Amino acid sequence: MKENSIPHESAIKHVTGEAVYVDDIEVSDQLLVGRVVYSPHAHAKIKAFDLFEAKKIPGVHAVLSHKDIPGHNQMGPVVKDEPCLAENEVVCVGQAMFLIAAETEEQALEAEKLIKVEFEELESILTLEQAIEQKSLLGPPAKIERGNVDDTLRNTPHVIRGELRTGAQEHWYLESQVALCIPGEGREMIVYSSTQHPSETQALIAELLGVGKNEVVVEVRRMGGAFGGKETQANHTACWTALLAWATKQPVKIRLFRDDDMKITGKRHRFLSTYDVGFDDEGNILAANVELNSDGGCTTDLSFAILQRAMLHADNAYYIPNMRVVGKVYKTNLPSNTAFRGFGGPQGMAVIEQVLDRVARYLKKDASEIRLKNFYGLNDRNVTHYGQAIEHNRLLMIHEQLMQSSQYSRRRKRINEFNTANEFSKKGLAITPVKFGISFTTSFLNQAAALVLIYKDGTILVNHGGTEMGQGLHTKMQQVTAAEFGVSIDRVKVNATNTSKIPNTSATAASAGSDLNGMAVKNAVDILKGRIAEVIAQIFTERHASSEHPTSHIPHPSTPRSIIFENDFIVDSDHPERRISFAEAMPLLHLRQVPLSATGFYKTPGIGWDKEKGFGKPFYYFAFGMAVTEVLLDILTGRHTILRTDILHDVGDSLNPGIDIGQVEGGYIQGIGWCTTEEIKWDEKGNLMTHSPDTYKIPSVQDIPKDFRVALLQGVPNPDTIRRSKAVAEPPLMLSLSCWLAIKDAISAVANHEIEPEFSLPATNETILLSIARLRECLARRSVPVATINEK
Amino acid sequence: MQSTISFILDGRIVRIDFNAGPAWKPTTTVLNFLRSLPMHKGTKEGCAEGDCGACTVVLAERSGSGTLRYKSVDSCLVFLPMLQGKQLITVENVQRTENELHPVQQAMVETGGSQCGYCTPGFIMSLFALYKNSDTPSREEIDDALTGNLCRCTGYRPIVEAAARSCIHEGHDHFTQRETGIAGLLDTIPNESLSIQTSTQRYYQPVTLGEAITLTHQHPDAIIISGSTDIALRVTKRHEFLKEIIDLSAIEELKSMTETEFSITFGAGAPLSDIMPRVKSSFPALYQMLAVFGSQQIRNLATLGGNLATASPIGDTLPVLIAYGARVVLESINGRREIPLDRFIVGYRKTVRKPDELIVSVIVPKLTNGVIVNSYKISKRKDLDISTVSGGFRLELNSETTVQSIVLAYGGMAERVKRAASVEKFLIGKQWTRETVEEAMPLIDSDFTPISDARAGAEMRRVAAKNLLLKFWVETIGNGVLE
Repeated sequence: MKENSIPHESAIKHVTGEAVYVDDIEVSDQLLVGRVVYSPHAHAKIKAFDLFEAKKIPGVHAVLSHKDIPGHNQMGPVVKDEPCLAENEVVCVGQAMFLIAAETEEQALEAEKLIKVEFEELESILTLEQAIEQKSLLGPPAKIERGNVDDTLRNTPHVIRGELRTGAQEHWYLESQVALCIPGEGREMIVYSSTQHPSETQALIAELLGVGKNEVVVEVRRMGGAFGGKETQANHTACWTALLAWATKQPVKIRLFRDDDMKITGKRHRFLSTYDVGFDDEGNILAANVELNSDGGCTTDLSFAILQRAMLHADNAYYIPNMRVVGKVYKTNLPSNTAFRGFGGPQGMAVIEQVLDRVARYLKKDASEIRLKNFYGLNDRNVTHYGQAIEHNRLLMIHEQLMQSSQYSRRRKRINEFNTANEFSKKGLAITPVKFGISFTTSFLNQAAALVLIYKDGTILVNHGGTEMGQGLHTKMQQVTAAEFGVSIDRVKVNATNTSKIPNTSATAASAGSDLNGMAVKNAVDILKGRIAEVIAQIFTERHASSEHPTSHIPHPSTPRSIIFENDFIVDSDHPERRISFAEAMPLLHLRQVPLSATGFYKTPGIGWDKEKGFGKPFYYFAFGMAVTEVLLDILTGRHTILRTDILHDVGDSLNPGIDIGQVEGGYIQGIGWCTTEEIKWDEKGNLMTHSPDTYKIPSVQDIPKDFRVALLQGVPNPDTIRRSKAVAEPPLMLSLSCWLAIKDAISAVANHEIEPEFSLPATNETILLSIARLRECLARRSVPVATINEK
Repeated sequence: MQSTISFILDGRIVRIDFNAGPAWKPTTTVLNFLRSLPMHKGTKEGCAEGDCGACTVVLAERSGSGTLRYKSVDSCLVFLPMLQGKQLITVENVQRTENELHPVQQAMVETGGSQCGYCTPGFIMSLFALYKNSDTPSREEIDDALTGNLCRCTGYRPIVEAAARSCIHEGHDHFTQRETGIAGLLDTIPNESLSIQTSTQRYYQPVTLGEAITLTHQHPDAIIISGSTDIALRVTKRHEFLKEIIDLSAIEELKSMTETEFSITFGAGAPLSDIMPRVKSSFPALYQMLAVFGSQQIRNLATLGGNLATASPIGDTLPVLIAYGARVVLESINGRREIPLDRFIVGYRKTVRKPDELIVSVIVPKLTNGVIVNSYKISKRKDLDISTVSGGFRLELNSETTVQSIVLAYGGMAERVKRAASVEKFLIGKQWTRETVEEAMPLIDSDFTPISDARAGAEMRRVAAKNLLLKFWVETIGNGVLE
């Protein structure tokens, strides 16, 4: 392992159980248990409610409704369409109506049973089809268009049409939503929240309570997983908790039970997408008309930003000269869907990958060939449908290396032989690329700040605006600080994220945590180094003077410019004998009244994007990766096994290869869940049927590839980013589409690849078995369904 | 009769008197107990239903003189009295000293086995149990030991590597050094029945079958727990208050297994993990089913008796036990009776067991030559998942390869585990050929009208049930290469 592959900064605390999560914080015995009472109806009018009996339960300190909110009853992150507690109407099962604070959980549960509510049930919209039919939009449609799509589609040799369903996904962070609020003196509120966005949590609580933001402090030591699920929706639990703490003037904690968490919080948006794609005999895609319809749920949340990212990734890695992407967010009576690793990217990419797969089957060619043909070029064919030129395109490099290292062609041949020889089990193989744009597409969010403190003993405390959710951000920030200061890692500690240290931060999201905060930390370090260098140069010069030239004339003064920081020393590079250890220097600097703390700031340069026109440069750069997955499919049970996965992923010069490989592997497996076993179902009343791990199945250790080979692309530094690195986090999730299409490839082998199989995402064993059943019916009738294939 | 419980935690005997205060009840789970202590917050709650393993702890029990057996369990499924006479080991106990990690912890740090860290204590405990029970485990053993622990961050690869890297010392560690001492301390806890009576709850934990039968007779409304992996959910998930419990987990007689020339009798209280090695060669189809039953943590608690008594429409072991022709032995103060399993279950979660009867054992006849029994489980996820459709099939062919007898027991297709009567009838006396089987497959539709639910739709269940019949044919005669 490389030198910079240090373990996660909390690894020892993790394995010993010492790591403190919100639920582990010791509080006085004044602590009350908070509970949220939520709607049992998908859509209903609240005609009346009565909390009187509930309040009488001994041990119950508060039962609150929207009437008890001192400030704004609002927790919508972008659009203010999300009340903290329902007023006259509930719009989904799981919407918060009342809050209870009690001394014990039993008391809270008992009180809940005594709350009386009179509802009048209203018509609800629970499927995307219903929403589309009723034109139940959350906002105006969006469009990105280039070239002449309609004419090209009319004139291309071949056109395929189809629709694709991609499913919702539950985050299943191991630590469910949790917050602890401790009222301070006056109007102060201290909030310990498992949130990816402390500043927004702070802002919403301040508005809810009607106090200044300077009264609310939000602190995040670490989260037990988040994956986007705590970007906006951690706010809810924090707001509810704060309200109860405000009302009772006692510490209150709400930790959602797993089932409540699954029922209340939003998921990855399910999409129902359609496409018309034209291509020539060689498989060159000439035009694509794509419509992405997403299920936003009952409120806006981040749905439009997510849709936008889906639209910006509908090309994935392919140059499509004429392309139109229309996107719509529909309103349904389900919990508001939200950010989830990939943020729309996976849904957009799944469509185009399905298209490439179909084109190949249609032309009876291997899909890898068709993909290669359509990749963005290095010098031409390198502008996306939204007008951003792709610089430093790594696609061809990765493709070449991965095809070779995975022995794709040889294995394809063997798989074909296997499939010919076996009736009841089939193998499938697929290679899929990822090109993922890095930056918040809401450009102003691309900013970060840091506050770096050096103490007199030479230890360093780093504060930055990012939050730690397991991704290793704090480890990387610790490494960046140590590397920039030229000191050993154990001199640097990264503080819990705290809104009273860094104000107005962006969410730790969009994979941008290290990029933005890393540069902000570096900026702070540079400022400190500048100050230190100036005074240290003086000190060196004086010492030199006093030892050798007691007169006022000094022939070789040290200059700040020649001061360097390395190996825990501060050295004059022109006179290397002039040196002082970092730790010894700090008290001297303090005596000389040098300020040893500094704020750093960073904003991503050169990006900008016109949402209305669908044109511009939304991304600072792209992250690339590719995966080859081989599966074995038992066609009688629909059970698939991942035999082997080869991944080659681009993270520039890795800040920490151990952590980055962990992100790639973990992202891929999380994607495997979305692509295979994770299926969200609601019943006809809008109740979540898959509301516990009993029915909702994320991958277990048994589901990972039997042979799992992950490598980082070498020798490709990323210009102008923190230590030439690239973001990781989200992009690898979409590498899992290779597994999804490998399963399809195996299904397709049942009919010798002559019939386009029915397919959707996730490819559960149900999807698989039914798809195979249709293929067999077709084979039995010896007819080929041509309904979705128009040959011209 | 004892009304307080005693167990070892942090190297000392802990006594809990449930009447001393309202802090803990007999139905308080070990997880909630631990989380109420200041120094044991490493044990996490992820789901409170035994599906995620974040709350995994290890229980050490006496095993022979001066030695202990270490078993991983989900602490969310264990009621406090089930700790009686055992050592409870949590993540805080695993490291040797403040500065010296246990080999499994060290390996997890080195391989990058933790990201967010929330599942990590649970993994550490599963790894610790593996460390104590296995030397240089195979990938299969490692996977099996970790199936009950979900991680959402890492993709598991580094955790598997940590297991392979660390479990190489024949289980030797600082626990080995202290083992005799701990066993001695456990010996000081008398092996007596518990009768815990608080103002609102009664919890009995008899140590003999005789006592249990008397208790069952006296308290016909009491909830009987034998492993508690199902009943515990009524407390943790449905927030029910269980007033009266008879816990069979301390009865050694119910854990015995006896073998004759013709059958093996399994004590109804034997944990499935103890049954597995005994059935591996005699009843491979049962073994196969148990191997994908829950997880290591669940199988260390769950019992055959418990599984049969719940009479779930899916009840993973039921179809295969029906195929083996298993018989259930029931006992009450009026004596014993034996019932074939397929007549034991009569409806949705309904059996012929009377309120005062206990399931004492299950007799599984050995197969005669030429009889084949296979089991199948179709579930969304291969492991730690409830079957969408399951099958336990038995076939006997006569010399002309015609079907002499056949049992096709299906789970997940009806309100109870049920045989495909018309398919069986059709096949008897016919040639066991693909043509016959394919002709028989559509008859599944006349035997079952499956439902659509969270796991799958009715159509999928019908397709799957038919496919399983073909798969059975393939595996008995056919030439397909299957996993």
